[in-house]
Amino acid sequence: MDASLLTIQPASAEPIYRQIVEQLRRLIAGGQLPPGELLPSVREVAGFHAVNPMTVSRAYSLAESEGLLERQRGKGMTVAARSRPALSQTQRLALLEPQIAALARQARELELPAEPVLRRLDKLLKE
Amino acid sequence: MNAVAQAVATASTAPLQVSGLTHRYDSKVVLDHVDLALQPGSVLGLIGRNGAGKSTLIRAMLGLLEPQAGQAFVFGEPSLKLSDAAKERLGYVPQQPDALAWLTAAQMFDYLSRFYPRWDHRFVKDTMQRWKIEADKVMAKLSPGERQRVDLARALAPQPELLVLDEPASALDPVARRELLREIALRAGEAGATVLFSTHIVSDLERVASDIAFLHDGRLLLHCPVDETKERYARLWLPANVAAAAPASPLGKRRHEDGSLSVIVECDANGAWPEAAHLPGARVDTLGLEDLFVEIAE
Repeated sequence: MDASLLTIQPASAEPIYRQIVEQLRRLIAGGQLPPGELLPSVREVAGFHAVNPMTVSRAYSLAESEGLLERQRGKGMTVAARSRPALSQTQRLALLEPQIAALARQARELELPAEPVLRRLDKLLKE
Repeated sequence: MNAVAQAVATASTAPLQVSGLTHRYDSKVVLDHVDLALQPGSVLGLIGRNGAGKSTLIRAMLGLLEPQAGQAFVFGEPSLKLSDAAKERLGYVPQQPDALAWLTAAQMFDYLSRFYPRWDHRFVKDTMQRWKIEADKVMAKLSPGERQRVDLARALAPQPELLVLDEPASALDPVARRELLREIALRAGEAGATVLFSTHIVSDLERVASDIAFLHDGRLLLHCPVDETKERYARLWLPANVAAAAPASPLGKRRHEDGSLSVIVECDANGAWPEAAHLPGARVDTLGLEDLFVEIAE
């Protein structure tokens, strides 16, 4: 995996370490990062995105404690090999819940009816 | 442990520590009882509006200005009487570097390198090349951005354990700024250096700082880890009919024209927001640091 695969938005209200963990979770759940895939070193991620290495370490440790990553001696972090059954559709949908809730809230604030929002979303999803 | 013993213990472990710093210019209070300690390896972003007292605080911390009250320590030594050994471990870049301006950058590096046993010649050479700065031009003739970068190279070359940067990015373009941040991040992470940098550009700080301190009107309003700041504080908005139930907040409260109210709230140890957040119509918005800064500083 390349460090550029991660997107970091420093100005977001979500702390950077959480942004990294959430992205890893999605990439792993979606299969873009297969078991055994080697992750970029803390230094590579910190250097590429100009972020504090401690933030990256914290994200990796959290992902490790959640079973997403495994520390391979002498190699670095890899995507956990434990052959876990692929996440069900419900579980994958649950990962998107915060974003969907935010979208719904903003749509209500803009007083947009559901239909045009769903139409637009549908179009984006089919792109 | 009593307060004095505690202060001494902190001073001996913290690379930089101040307590009760107070300073006035004429009748204006610029620093008002500021207490602050940096943990080794941390990157502290000091943020405040122009005129908040950031430069005065930095100068008083390093012993470049004698405060009217309070104490400052660098590596456990009183800042006003720093030994040469402590100065060797300290790198400082002032907001507008102008020292030795009649020399060329190459001459300055050559001169200064004699005072520092750990001077990194290779780093200076690579950096000047990468930044495309003419090393044999008199520094007075460099642009402000070039001059600032020369001074950054100067401060980083001795591989300091404590790096203090006063508005280091103010004259830099976005590319140079990103590069500087990368340098700060990696120095702290790998060499274990402790960094303090002041800025009024919040996005600079969000990338690399591990901790943040808000200085406002000479007072330190907030000092905590960046991640925690984002998770712990939020803006609670209350519609006019329940605005009277707003919790007290030392950090900022704003009444809007329609009678509604915004107040900065803090969650408790269990992550729960104050009760007022459950009032009908109430809304809790998480905040980026920039929004939080604006709410507090207004």
